[in-house]
Amino acid sequence: MYPLLELLQILIFPGILFAIFLAFIYEWLDRKIYAKFQNRVGPLYTGPMGILQPFADFVKLLAKEDIVPNDVDKPLFNILPIFALTLSLTGFLALPIISLKGIISFNGDLIFLIVLMTLICIVVIYAGVSSSNRFSTVGAERAALQLLGYEIPMMLSVVSVGIMANSMWIYEIVSIQSNTFWFLIGPGILGFAIFIICGQAELERIPFDIPEAETEIVAGWLTEFSGRKFALFRLTRNVELLYLSGLAVTLFLGGPSGPIILGLEPILYPIYFLIKTLFVLFLLTTLRALFARLRIDQMVNFSWKYLIPIAILHILFVRVIF
Amino acid sequence: MQKEELRSEDKKSSYELFFDIPVGPQHPALKEPAFFKFKVEGERVIGVDADVSYNHRGIEKALEQRNYIQNIYLIERICGICNVAHTLCYAQAVEQIHGKEIPPRANYIRLMIEELARIHSHTLWLGVAAHEIGFDTLFMYVWRDREVVMDLIEMLTGNRVTTAINTIGGVRRDVSDEAKYKVKKGMDILEERLKYYKKVAINDPTINARCSGVGILKPRDAIKLCAVGPTLRASGIKNDVRADDPYALHDEVPFNVITYDTMDVLARVLVRVDETLESVNMVRYCVDHMPSGEVKIKLPLSPPIGESVSRVEAPRGELIHYARSNGTNKPERYKVRTPTFENIPSVCEMLTSKNGYEVNIADIPITLASIDPCFSCTARMEFRDVSKGKTWIWSLEELKAHCKKKGI
Repeated sequence: MYPLLELLQILIFPGILFAIFLAFIYEWLDRKIYAKFQNRVGPLYTGPMGILQPFADFVKLLAKEDIVPNDVDKPLFNILPIFALTLSLTGFLALPIISLKGIISFNGDLIFLIVLMTLICIVVIYAGVSSSNRFSTVGAERAALQLLGYEIPMMLSVVSVGIMANSMWIYEIVSIQSNTFWFLIGPGILGFAIFIICGQAELERIPFDIPEAETEIVAGWLTEFSGRKFALFRLTRNVELLYLSGLAVTLFLGGPSGPIILGLEPILYPIYFLIKTLFVLFLLTTLRALFARLRIDQMVNFSWKYLIPIAILHILFVRVIF
Repeated sequence: MQKEELRSEDKKSSYELFFDIPVGPQHPALKEPAFFKFKVEGERVIGVDADVSYNHRGIEKALEQRNYIQNIYLIERICGICNVAHTLCYAQAVEQIHGKEIPPRANYIRLMIEELARIHSHTLWLGVAAHEIGFDTLFMYVWRDREVVMDLIEMLTGNRVTTAINTIGGVRRDVSDEAKYKVKKGMDILEERLKYYKKVAINDPTINARCSGVGILKPRDAIKLCAVGPTLRASGIKNDVRADDPYALHDEVPFNVITYDTMDVLARVLVRVDETLESVNMVRYCVDHMPSGEVKIKLPLSPPIGESVSRVEAPRGELIHYARSNGTNKPERYKVRTPTFENIPSVCEMLTSKNGYEVNIADIPITLASIDPCFSCTARMEFRDVSKGKTWIWSLEELKAHCKKKGI
């Protein structure tokens, strides 16, 4: 309809630039809250209350020497960081922020989003294998095992939302929720919990930071990446954090909907979206502060013994109600 | 040539089921240089090969070239965290050669500082162990509370870590009444916090999942491999130099020797936390029962001809110093045996999968950390013939004979 407007939406607001800006802010908040839990101050000196610290880290990493070891699979090694960032940003474009529709929106886009998340994990596995480093190989192996652990319960929890809304289109899911005052959080609360736990595993944060466990395998699959490539992977993680909390909000907390004054939707929707994602971010950070890292066998065990049966029971329950 | 061989071995191993994971000499889990080569199959550790000799500082030779007073400060730098145990052991060894007893007040102060250093060392270790299993929140909390004891040590001795309090013939500083009051207050805070950490270690599901059943050392193996200190006591064997061979008035100050019989990393955590609580009580007892009087006697710079062995229970285990004097102001021979060196065979045993007992890569850091390693004092010299792949150790006489033969 308006090609220029759409381009602006994709590039600036609420598209790529907005996502990257927000990703930096969210990383800062994550670090601040995590530091508060640990009785520390967190980032403090760069900008007011250290708000520019993630950005400063990013710029510093961009300027660092970019080392490509001799033995790596060079094409793969060079392209993967860009690929990962693209995937996570694409995911962000499908989230509804300024209206009930995302920039990318089509019937069945929920499946597309799930595929994107799995693809990011597969990029991680490739990154580890292409590094041809022992620690990276172990990291990739662990990432693959972890994928087996968390992906199925996560999909089941997403499917439960699809059943409740009787649709796999994010636009419909969100509009049903906005019409009926987010009925999903009532019966869907179990799904929400499962989604948050699996999201923590997808983001590789404590207690599921097994593929990049620092004290065990140095940095896991990330070990050989330095300079620009490492910066891009870090940014990917932050955009993914934003994307996952956005997805949790979209599926379980009614997306950007809330009390509306007619005519002010484009301003109010993003504000509601931000408030809700901040809530999810707080949950994710709390989980990160409370536990020790699990072992990979314990993680897979936990997932198959508890998460998956609960997720299946939840689906049955939802199917009976709706 | 050896390097090429290693490289070809690397290339071969990547296509095989097993491959080697190097941990060290630089690795996030190790704070000091040591090298452990793990043979792994997937996540499972099959074998381990240890090399701890990366930092040979020649301390024993250096000790023989300095006089007894200078040596106090060199001895202190063998290990930063056990510095009190080292100076105490050294001072006792030299006093034994002199054949003199030090005043009781000095002994009480020595014991108090030693126990404060034990609290500091064990809380530091608890934080590091929490970090090794990825529990950074506990790490930050423990290290925050450790500041209490660090401040007390600074107030009593003038330094946070390297205390330089023990000297030959007593201690360098007296303890004032105001300081005693502050120490008691600090102990109250520490006791409360430590009880809380004990509760956390017992109840937290993730700590239990990572620590219990991991790094098992059976009592028989522990004795066979000469484990010492908390590592030995966590295997259920009651062995503590403070109780078995009391020094510095340990027979006057009441305390319990803590043992646990689960033999795993969790037992080592609990042994250390309980020992810290015992230390808190011992410091309190010292403050309450400290006699008045001198804190130092003057001893001549050169001790008479003689030799002595002194033992101290350092935070990491039994520490042995041997001194031989030839009547001059420098020791003729000085020998230090540190606890970490004794625990290396045990940790290799813990890290080897045996029938029914599996070690994962994820267990490596916490198991290594569970002996509270301090690799800077483990280096020993050995000779190696690269072309024949032979390694051996020479005694002094053999070395002299070799030099004579070669005409060096």
